[in-house]
Amino acid sequence: MIKKITPLIFLLSTSYAWAVNSPITGTVQASCSIVTTTPGQYGVPNIWKLSTAAADGGQDAVIKTQIGTADKYKVKITHPNSFSSSPSLSDTLTWTGSSVYTSGSVSGMSAYNAAKVVVGNETTFDMTLAGTTFFTVASTASYGYNRAFPSGSYTALILAECIAK
Amino acid sequence: MLLGFQAQAHEMTPAYPKFSYSHISGVSVTKMFLFNRRNDVSYFEIGVFSGDWKEIPFASTSKLIKVKHTKKYPFDVYIRNSDLDRVTYICTSSKSFKGEGQRTIITSRICSKVE
Repeated sequence: MIKKITPLIFLLSTSYAWAVNSPITGTVQASCSIVTTTPGQYGVPNIWKLSTAAADGGQDAVIKTQIGTADKYKVKITHPNSFSSSPSLSDTLTWTGSSVYTSGSVSGMSAYNAAKVVVGNETTFDMTLAGTTFFTVASTASYGYNRAFPSGSYTALILAECIAK
Repeated sequence: MLLGFQAQAHEMTPAYPKFSYSHISGVSVTKMFLFNRRNDVSYFEIGVFSGDWKEIPFASTSKLIKVKHTKKYPFDVYIRNSDLDRVTYICTSSKSFKGEGQRTIITSRICSKVE
């Protein structure tokens, strides 16, 4: 009798175990990624000017941000106002630049440009929507009063920041 | 194309870290995670700041950390309890090598806000 019941109990208990729900849990955290899509390149339209504009033979920098949760981050982009490395320069430099929202995964992001805050060379965007956003950063440096840039390598830093609100 | 974009990302979590008591008396600790998907950067600098962006002393394994491409790097940030009420941001900034040619380099900085 026991020999007959034991396998039956085993089968029943196994079936019962298979029937237990196994929940899958996960946590979504607010997050921000800064993606350096395109580092900029200076063109040299004339001897006294370096410019990332395509019309000047350069390439604007493109920065992508991925925001995981709406209204949790600000993005601050600082366009250059000095070279991080260059040949020795004895005259003054005049810098111009801009940071502009160019496209995003949500149509409402097109309002970012109107709402951005520009202070000096810093542009702050309030990321009120979750999704992917592209920004274009332009930079121009002019040397002295139409003086020729000394030959050599010129590098300038763009700072892209994601700051939790 | 999407994978190409992902290969250049810098990310840090959590966005809102919380400090808890550490094994050292008078010191609190929080754990952060840095993800380096930038193949042009291997070094990141940790910084701790007040609400008005003044530096606050902290301790970690190292202030400058090396994180290989596509790697996730956990690190602890230790703060004196006396500084806790001033701590607002924990940031990691990418560190770039001197460039060649006429170009711009993008430095990325992610800042989490302490709750």
